[in-house]
Amino acid sequence: MKKLTPSFVKSRDEARAWSLWAINYFTACGFMELLPWVGSGYDMERFGLLATPSPRHADVFIVAGYVTKKAAKRIKMIYDQMPSPKYVVALGSCPMTGGMYWDSYATVKRLDEIIPVDLWVQGCPPRPENIGHAVVMAINAIKSGFKGH
Amino acid sequence: MVNEIVSILKARFPDSLLDIPSEGRSIVVTVKKEDFYPLLSQLKESGFDHFSDVSVVDYPDEQRFEMVYHLWSHQKKIRAIVKVAIPRESPAVKSVIDLWTGAQVHERENHELFGIGFEGNPNLSELFLEDWEEIPPFRKDFDTRKYVKEKYYREEEGYPIVKG
Amino acid sequence: MEEREISFATLPFGPQHPASSHFHALVKVEGEGVLELEPHPGYLHRGFEKLMEYRTHPQNCVLVDRICVLDPFANELGYVNAVEKLGNLEVPERGRYIRLIMTEFGRIQSHITWIGIMGMALGFDSICRIAWGDREKIIRLNEMATGGRLYPCYFCLGGTRRDISPEFVKLAFETLNYLEEQLDFYDRVFFNNESFITRTKGVGKLTAKEAIELGATGPNLRACGIDYDVRKDEPYEVYPKVNFRAITRVEGDAYARSLCRRDEIAESISIVRQLLRDLPEGPFNTEVNPLYAAPKGECYFCVEAARGELCFHMVSDGSPFPYRVKVRGPSFSHSLVEFPRLAKGAMIADIPVIYWSLDPCPADMDR
Repeated sequence: MKKLTPSFVKSRDEARAWSLWAINYFTACGFMELLPWVGSGYDMERFGLLATPSPRHADVFIVAGYVTKKAAKRIKMIYDQMPSPKYVVALGSCPMTGGMYWDSYATVKRLDEIIPVDLWVQGCPPRPENIGHAVVMAINAIKSGFKGH
Repeated sequence: MVNEIVSILKARFPDSLLDIPSEGRSIVVTVKKEDFYPLLSQLKESGFDHFSDVSVVDYPDEQRFEMVYHLWSHQKKIRAIVKVAIPRESPAVKSVIDLWTGAQVHERENHELFGIGFEGNPNLSELFLEDWEEIPPFRKDFDTRKYVKEKYYREEEGYPIVKG
Repeated sequence: MEEREISFATLPFGPQHPASSHFHALVKVEGEGVLELEPHPGYLHRGFEKLMEYRTHPQNCVLVDRICVLDPFANELGYVNAVEKLGNLEVPERGRYIRLIMTEFGRIQSHITWIGIMGMALGFDSICRIAWGDREKIIRLNEMATGGRLYPCYFCLGGTRRDISPEFVKLAFETLNYLEEQLDFYDRVFFNNESFITRTKGVGKLTAKEAIELGATGPNLRACGIDYDVRKDEPYEVYPKVNFRAITRVEGDAYARSLCRRDEIAESISIVRQLLRDLPEGPFNTEVNPLYAAPKGECYFCVEAARGELCFHMVSDGSPFPYRVKVRGPSFSHSLVEFPRLAKGAMIADIPVIYWSLDPCPADMDR
C-alpha cells in the first residue's frame, strides 16, 4: 500500500472536520438547545454540520440529554452501524453523572458504559454558546489529527 | 345541573358518599367496590362523555389502593370524581373500556406501574418499562433512591459518586 | 395471467427517524397502505411522579418544567395552582397577571416550534429554519424575565420568583408586533401554500363523536367542532377578565388542526396585549415557607397547555413532600389512542403528516 503523504493526511483531516454529518436523533430534553442551532438564530450549517437520517451516512453522534435503559440498546445499535471514523458528543449533565434524574430507576447514569464518548458538554441544558464552543473544539481537534473510533 | 345529577345518584346508590365542593362545578363520589361499575355507567348515561384520567393512590398502612376516576361532561361542563378503594393484596377491578374506549391505555399504564388487574382489558402488556424484574415501581414499598444507590453509585464521604 | 402473492411487511417508524421524535411504532403495511399501527412508547420514561415524592414543593417546581419540554410554563402553572388550591394560598393580582403573560408566550412559542416541525415533516425545510429563528425572540424574553432560557423555574408558591421590568414590557410589545407580521409571512408561504393544502386536506379525518370517545383534548378536539377549552370552561387565574374566544373548526382533518393552531397564535397575541395593558402595580408574590406543608387533602387541577388538557391530581398527607402526584399529559391519548386509529387505512407517506398534525410530545406521554 502506498504511504500517505503528510499533506494528503492534512487535507483529508481538514475536509473531514468541515463536513461533519450528525445523525438525526431527537433524544431528550437536552435536545431543545440544538433547535436554535438548526434554526436561523445560530445556524449550524455554516460549520458544515448537517442532520442526516441514516446512520450509515453519519460521522457524529450527538447524544443530547438523558438516556433510558430502553433507549440504550437502540443507541448501541445506531453507534455500531456508523462507519469509522466516528465521534460521540454527550450534551448535558445527565449523560455525565445522572444529572437531574439521578434517582430515577429507568435512566442510565453514565453514557460511557454504553458507547465511548469523546466530548462532554456541561449544562442543563447547555447554552447554545457552550454547544458552539464544543463544536469548534471538535472541528479543531479533528483538523489536528484526532482519530475518533 | 349539579343538583339533578346528585339526586339521581343519591336515589340509586344510597350508600355512597357525595360531596359538592364550594365552586359548584364538580361532584366527588366515594363508592364501594360493588357499586362502582353501575355508578360509572349511570354517570356515562347522564352525559359524562370525556374520560380524563384514572389515578391510583397507595395506602400501605391501611392495606388498600384507592382508584380515582376523573370524568368531564362536555355538554353540562361539570367534572365528576369517583373514588373506590380496593384491597392491596391481589388488587383487581372491572375495566371501563366498554364505556370509554380511550381508558384502555390509562389502565395499561396503571397495571404496569402499580400491578393492578383490570378484568376485561384485552391488552395489558408492558408500556414503558422493558425487562423490569422488581416489584411495580410506583408502589410505596419500592424505594427508588435505595435501588439506584445500590445499582449505580458508590458512597464516598457520604456523597453518592457514580460508579465506573 | 399469473397470480401475485400479496405480502405484508412490518416497518419500524422507529425511535431514530427524521419525522418521529423518539417515539416508536410498528407499522404493518400491505403495499403502500397501512393496515395497523402499534405504538411502543417508553423511550423517555423517567418515573416523574415517583421522583416528585422525594422532593419538597419548591424543589418540585424546578423539576416539573421538564415534563413537557416544549411548553414549560403550563406545567409549572398546573403544579403551583394545585398546591395553592389545597392550601388556600393567596397570590397577589400582579403575580397572577405575570404568570399568564409568561404562559401565553409559552403557548405562542410551542405553536411556532410546531410550525417548524410540521414544515420539516412535510419537506418545507426553510420554514423550519425561519420558525426556529423566530422562536429565539420569545426565548430571549424568557431569559430577560426569568434568567433561564428553556427551563425557567419561574412560578413559585405564592406568585413568581421575580418581577418583570419596564424594559421587558417594552420588548414584549415589540416582539408581539414582530410576530404578527411574521404570521402574515407564514400564511403566504406555508398555510396558503398549495402543496401544504393538498397534503393535509382530508388527511387524518377525525369525527366529533370519535374524538370524544378517544379522549382528545386541545386543538385536536376543537378542530372537530367541540368547544372545550379549560381556560373558558374551568377558568383559573385571571382568565375571566380577559376577552378571547376558543378557536373551533368543523372539518376535523389535518388542515383544520393546523389552522386551529395558527389562529391560536393570533388569539394569544391579543391576550398578551390585553394583559400587558392592564398589568396592575403592587407585590408580585407572597412569602411562603420553603418547607411549606400543604394540609391533608386531595385536589385535581386542570390547565390548558398548548397541546390540550394538562391535569394534576395532588394528594397531600400534611408533610412538606407530596404523597402522590399524578400528571395527565395531553399527548398520552393523542399518540397512543388517536394516532393508531387515524393511521389505519392511510398511505405510508401520510404517516408523518398525521402524526405531527396531532402535535404530540413524547416527553409528556412517557413522563
